[in-house]
Amino acid sequence: MLAFLVRRLLIGAVTLLLITFILYGLIRKMPGTPLTVNMAEVDPSKRLSPEDLERLNKAYGLDKPWTTAYVYWLGNVFRLDLGSSFTFKQPVLKVIVDRLPATLVLSITSITMSYLVSIVLGLFSAARNGRVEERALSGGLYLLYSFPVVVAAVFLQYWFAVQLKWLPIYGMRSTEIYNNLTTFERVRDILWHSVLPIVCETYGVLAYYTRFVHTNLQEVIRQDYVRTAKAKGVGPVRVLVHHAFRNTLIPLVTMLGLTLPALLSGAIIIERIFAWPGMGQLFFNSITERDYPVIMGLVLMFSMLTLAGQLLADVLYALVDPRVRLS
Amino acid sequence: MSARIPKSPGFWRETWTRFRRQWLASSALIYIIFLGLVALFAPAIAGTKPIVCRYKGHIYFPCLGYFESSWENPIFQRDGFRKEYTPKRFHAKDPQSWQIWPLVYQDPYRRVRADEWPGQPANPTHEDGRPSRYNWFGTNEDGVDVFSQMVHGTTIALLVGFVSMGIATALGITLGAIGGFAGGTVDMLISRITEVVLCIPTLVLILALLAVVEHPSIWHMMVVIGCTGWTNIARLTRAEFLRLKQMDFVAAARALGLGWPRIVFRHILPNALTPVLVPIAFGVASAILIEASLSFLGFGTPPPNPSWGTLLNQGREDRDLWWLIFFPGTAIFLVVLAYNLIGEGLQRAIDPHLRKSEG
Repeated sequence: MLAFLVRRLLIGAVTLLLITFILYGLIRKMPGTPLTVNMAEVDPSKRLSPEDLERLNKAYGLDKPWTTAYVYWLGNVFRLDLGSSFTFKQPVLKVIVDRLPATLVLSITSITMSYLVSIVLGLFSAARNGRVEERALSGGLYLLYSFPVVVAAVFLQYWFAVQLKWLPIYGMRSTEIYNNLTTFERVRDILWHSVLPIVCETYGVLAYYTRFVHTNLQEVIRQDYVRTAKAKGVGPVRVLVHHAFRNTLIPLVTMLGLTLPALLSGAIIIERIFAWPGMGQLFFNSITERDYPVIMGLVLMFSMLTLAGQLLADVLYALVDPRVRLS
Repeated sequence: MSARIPKSPGFWRETWTRFRRQWLASSALIYIIFLGLVALFAPAIAGTKPIVCRYKGHIYFPCLGYFESSWENPIFQRDGFRKEYTPKRFHAKDPQSWQIWPLVYQDPYRRVRADEWPGQPANPTHEDGRPSRYNWFGTNEDGVDVFSQMVHGTTIALLVGFVSMGIATALGITLGAIGGFAGGTVDMLISRITEVVLCIPTLVLILALLAVVEHPSIWHMMVVIGCTGWTNIARLTRAEFLRLKQMDFVAAARALGLGWPRIVFRHILPNALTPVLVPIAFGVASAILIEASLSFLGFGTPPPNPSWGTLLNQGREDRDLWWLIFFPGTAIFLVVLAYNLIGEGLQRAIDPHLRKSEG
């Protein structure tokens, strides 16, 4: 186990190095720098004079070739210093951590909901396997699965926000009144704003998870111990939940590890559509503003989470099922 | 004297037969073929340039200008048509001329004005542009017809899928085959590269690559999507090569003294291709999704290009124009659904386990 962990961590470290190296190069090759992109667009007269530009370039280390700059950046990362953002004039870590709660509100709710709903739906379709209602359910879920998130978001916005006026169209809080609200009302306000983004983030994966639960159950139901349980007179619901479903938990737990990166990066597009002030917004803005340190910080975080998720899936698998040996 | 044994159907043929038996998957395939025809004949379906015309004694095909602007004959430029071919102008310049017009007289790039076409009013703008007799799917803010934009945008939707997945397939199969067949250090190296690309979030990589290009066109986007989508294919191909390498027929081929190119291309590759088909079909769907999402968010190709995602984006700016959301949105949904159904159908036709359970 230990040897396995050490080996995987080493490989992961090499992968991370390669990823950051490639992306650092790419980002520095984008036309424009954080110093030129902003000013020129706002007002031509605000454009920096060549001398100032040179001075600032030097101060931010933009005059060095990117390979050298990468080595500096890497050295700082080892000292847990991700640099400071050009746009926000704050340490990158703080910028990212500030955005974290907003993203987590969406992703944690959506992951929990999708698991709960798909376990229920999976149990239902295993119990009704092959009948009309199961067919209809899986067909409907398949349609949802193919429904593009951008299209769904725009449809929902149009229907629920523009036509019916039930829900806010975007943003995370009602800006005009938010400061006058009590704590309870504030929570309600944020929840109200989060309904549409959460629905958008959740509906697509339902089909995938439900089918996952369903096929696993289908396999377990054929086992002898399920037949034994039925033979000794256990009711159908109890057989399904206690005898069959418990034994499908292993693959489900493993999948939890793989959803880890989705916790922070899953909603990039959705956040952008709903102007939700989280990680996704930050990422899009930092790309357009060429905010190198923020982009690199986010890239580092996303890829670390992906690697950690894969590792977690493997480790969980071995922990839950003692028959699995890691090697 | 030899008894003729009927040739047993090959693997591909059998897969095709099983695929055809699934009505959902086959209708999805028919739908894609239909879209292909729409894309091919787009200038003949909706446009303001005659399909064929006889002008000053010669036959011309001005509608080809929609594919490539240099294919329009310079004579029209010289005669002062200024890219607008109205029947009136034709008649004024050459009374003997005749033209065959597209089914719908609407242009995907500009607003049609009053009296360009006899009896057809100018395209309405803003809220007045709801679907009508002349504008089947309505018009956008500036009065450009949505139906003709969608017909012309079909090409992009299909091309994005084919080109980017073509690139991804070529990359994936080559790298996977090399890794699986060569083994050793080469394999390890390729596996590492695959893992690196796999671990970078796709959107991050695509946006970074797109930002590097100064003026990204739709072709850049296809290449970028292709360069990020090959990892699954490479992994599958590699696994297949590792498995097939050990098979008896490869040993037999070796024993016969065949060189490695023949073994790889004639014996292993055809057998390794089928499992790769499934991720390709799903990959096409996701490529179309990525293009639509990026165009929608304004990170795609700049207008004028009638991509369905760009159209959807216009609807987002003014939410009272529901037709700008409904029609392109439905089109994107249907094409993604079709590719997913095809992938599913292929999976069923290929997977031996599923085959058995069907009887």
